Amino acid sequence: MRGSGNYRDTGTGSSEVRLLCDLEQTEPSWTVRHVGGAMRGAGADQISVLVRTMVESKVSKNVLRMFYVLGYRLDHELLRVGFSFQFNRGAQITVTVSSVNKMLKLHATDEAVPVTPGIQMVEVTAPASAENYTEVAAAVQSFCEYLAPLLHLSKPGVSTGVVPTAAAAAASLMSDGGGTPL
Amino acid sequence: MPVRWILHWQPNQGSSVNSHILNEISQCVDNFNGVKDGRWKATLTFYRPNLRDSSMAATEFPRDFIGISLMEVPNKYFFIIRGHKLVLEADSSILTIFEKLQSYKSKVALNFEGLQYKLGDFQVRLIKVVPNTAENLRGILMEIEYLPISSVEKAKPIIEEFVEIWREVLSKKSLHGQFMRAEPNFAEYGLADNYTWQHTAVQYAAALAQLIASVQSRN
Repeated sequence: MRGSGNYRDTGTGSSEVRLLCDLEQTEPSWTVRHVGGAMRGAGADQISVLVRTMVESKVSKNVLRMFYVLGYRLDHELLRVGFSFQFNRGAQITVTVSSVNKMLKLHATDEAVPVTPGIQMVEVTAPASAENYTEVAAAVQSFCEYLAPLLHLSKPGVSTGVVPTAAAAAASLMSDGGGTPL
Repeated sequence: MPVRWILHWQPNQGSSVNSHILNEISQCVDNFNGVKDGRWKATLTFYRPNLRDSSMAATEFPRDFIGISLMEVPNKYFFIIRGHKLVLEADSSILTIFEKLQSYKSKVALNFEGLQYKLGDFQVRLIKVVPNTAENLRGILMEIEYLPISSVEKAKPIIEEFVEIWREVLSKKSLHGQFMRAEPNFAEYGLADNYTWQHTAVQYAAALAQLIASVQSRN
């Protein structure tokens, strides 16, 4: 399980940051993540996957309190439960199959309810640098085409509707081995 | 990791800190057969909120938000907010995140530069505090590390004795001041008895607060 909160600064203009807590470990571990805007322009439109900057930092457990003290306020909080898989196919590709849940009370992970009951989200991501992102994007696209018999993946922001085979895709991926709990 | 104490030079009323004092203390360490063990450096940065909305008062945000980088752990960065007894250890990529967030900006940076000496089971660092953009000496710190022990409580009497010896030696030099320790309450910061880099970061913030207070009281 992994909980994450989106925090928005209230005093210094728009400034969003994500705090992720990995609940699967014996001792919860925290990461701060900043996700930049999507790459724009004609070049971006040509690429069938979403490319955006992301910076992460592992932090000690006081991070939640620190951001509150700095003036950040909780925007929303989600709990993701599922599995992640690692593939090496032209890039280090991570596939996560997870349900996204909202918590009815603040930080109450035991009282989470699915945002879309019965529907899971499949995410395919791969890290890239400014120098090699086109190759990585091509590798991710190729991998998504490889998954096409099982499920249809779309670029975020370009909706193709919910695919009923997501659960079948997860079962198939899990039966192949190499999956680790998220 | 071994326990460290960080002491700051407290000038007597009417006196100030200067490079002559630093040289005299270095001489004492040399006389004690301290073996020079290399240079040492750290940087401390004060952050202020980047207020874009003029109706927001700066008082609503912490005024003692400090960041520290230590030469010994270059891939780490430490944040301290003393008023809230808060210390955070992060990967150094946290600085890139804050640059992107633009919510806080660097206000003043201080460099801590010094030499380290080995004296038996102790490692001593004699540190001068200088602003990032100038050369004038703002303070002197002494860091004393007792290598065999990592328990804060167990190391206390041993380091205390070592500090007393130093105080006595330096008192004979008529330097118009002495080394003091702003002993922070580690438990208030959520820190355990086992010494860590976070303990070091908290002590630096406390020592700096004392340096600032003594400069302000002289002015």
